[in-house]
Amino acid sequence: MTKIAIKAEKITKAYFTDKIGTGTITRDFERWLAGICGKADPYLPAEPNPENNFNVSQKIFWALKNISFEINQGEVVGLAGHNGAGKSTLLKILSRITTPTSGKIIGTGRIISLLEIGSGFHPELTGRENIHLNGAMLGMRKSEIKREMDAILFFAEVEKYIDIPVKRYSSGMYTRLAFSIASHLYSDVLIVDEVLAVGDHAFQLKCIDKLKSLSRDEGKTIILVSHNSENIKSFCHKEIKLINGQLSCQ
Amino acid sequence: MASGSALAVFTLIFGTLSKIPTDGIFRPLFYLSGIIMWNYFAECLNRTSTVFKDNSMLFEKVYFPRLIIPISIALSLLFRFSIQLVLLCTGIFIFHCQGTHFQGNRTIVLLPVITLLMAFQGLGIGVLIAALTAKYRDLTFLLAFAIQLLMYATPVIYPLSAAPVNLKWLILANPMTAVVETFRFSFFGSGSFNWINLLGSAVTTLVLLFAGLLAFHKAEKNFIDTL
Repeated sequence: MTKIAIKAEKITKAYFTDKIGTGTITRDFERWLAGICGKADPYLPAEPNPENNFNVSQKIFWALKNISFEINQGEVVGLAGHNGAGKSTLLKILSRITTPTSGKIIGTGRIISLLEIGSGFHPELTGRENIHLNGAMLGMRKSEIKREMDAILFFAEVEKYIDIPVKRYSSGMYTRLAFSIASHLYSDVLIVDEVLAVGDHAFQLKCIDKLKSLSRDEGKTIILVSHNSENIKSFCHKEIKLINGQLSCQ
Repeated sequence: MASGSALAVFTLIFGTLSKIPTDGIFRPLFYLSGIIMWNYFAECLNRTSTVFKDNSMLFEKVYFPRLIIPISIALSLLFRFSIQLVLLCTGIFIFHCQGTHFQGNRTIVLLPVITLLMAFQGLGIGVLIAALTAKYRDLTFLLAFAIQLLMYATPVIYPLSAAPVNLKWLILANPMTAVVETFRFSFFGSGSFNWINLLGSAVTTLVLLFAGLLAFHKAEKNFIDTL
């Protein structure tokens, strides 16, 4: 029997390009004052591009429109789409970092995500401390984290630098550690975004092997951003393709 | 360290030079008791107010209940507060041995309540401001100034009894006032302590905490889109 790991129902995310605050109270105050005096808004956002998803009259950008899908437990899902198609926004919503404008996510289990580079590292903490921090955020016990520690370090190949703050890591080390943590800590769903692009070829192959074994042996659900790379395509069960914020086909 | 230097400055300026009364409480201990409470409150406010900005590295990558960070700030500062409390007790003990008379009394059992009120205030107002700074980043600069001003609206360097009559209502409206006064009363036995003020402070505190949590909850959902 297959269990549904993540179910997305009509997810829509809209960004309002005209209602964005200036980010500082003094500027918002100036804007308000200008409005009262009948002058033009001094901090008017740049005119939106009428192409793509901009609705010029309302100045709304639809990052995602009516996305619905189901992902079964243990599946490897490839997420494809060109730049700006909404891949990262979708992953952010799936990881609950931001909320959709409408629609909802029904998910069971713990989700760990590797969005862009670094998975929730605190730059001042050392590699070891960050492993503990990430484990704690997933609700793991200290002893459980300790048990995985050696495997994480071995996989990431950063044993020598584990007691150095991660802000001094090279981007390769950073990514290797992030991937290693994410793949070893106890989670039910693993979300991987653009991470494989940074590591060298040998590490990429290692990551793909690891992902394969995670899905096959441990039954983890994996969502992976792919840019049509053949070796990734070969082991995805399903592909979600986004075009301008809309689902094209599964 | 900060508390120590503040203590020296206050004793010199407000005590020796301007001779503000202290309700008959031994001067250094009067200031110390005010300073440790105020420092807790101010530090808690300061650190929680920028919680979104300081932890954006974590917040934009992983989901966990965001409130954990402000709570951990409040708890770690409580640890510091307890050390300073030991320092205050040591000071009382030393001066007691030298013959100064202290009238500590039974209201000392209120100490946990007072501590809790103090923590709730720091946390409540802190997360309220955190929700605002998520939208308006320049509020942080205003906050440093506001905390300075607020200190003078709290009986830290003066007792409530020495406050000007026409401004007393303002000082009493500050929920920290009753907390600091009760704290002093329980250790030194003089000052203005009454149940109505304390109850008023407790109600204000809970309202602020509730409003803060509500605003924080609203801000945490989508702040990552605007940060």
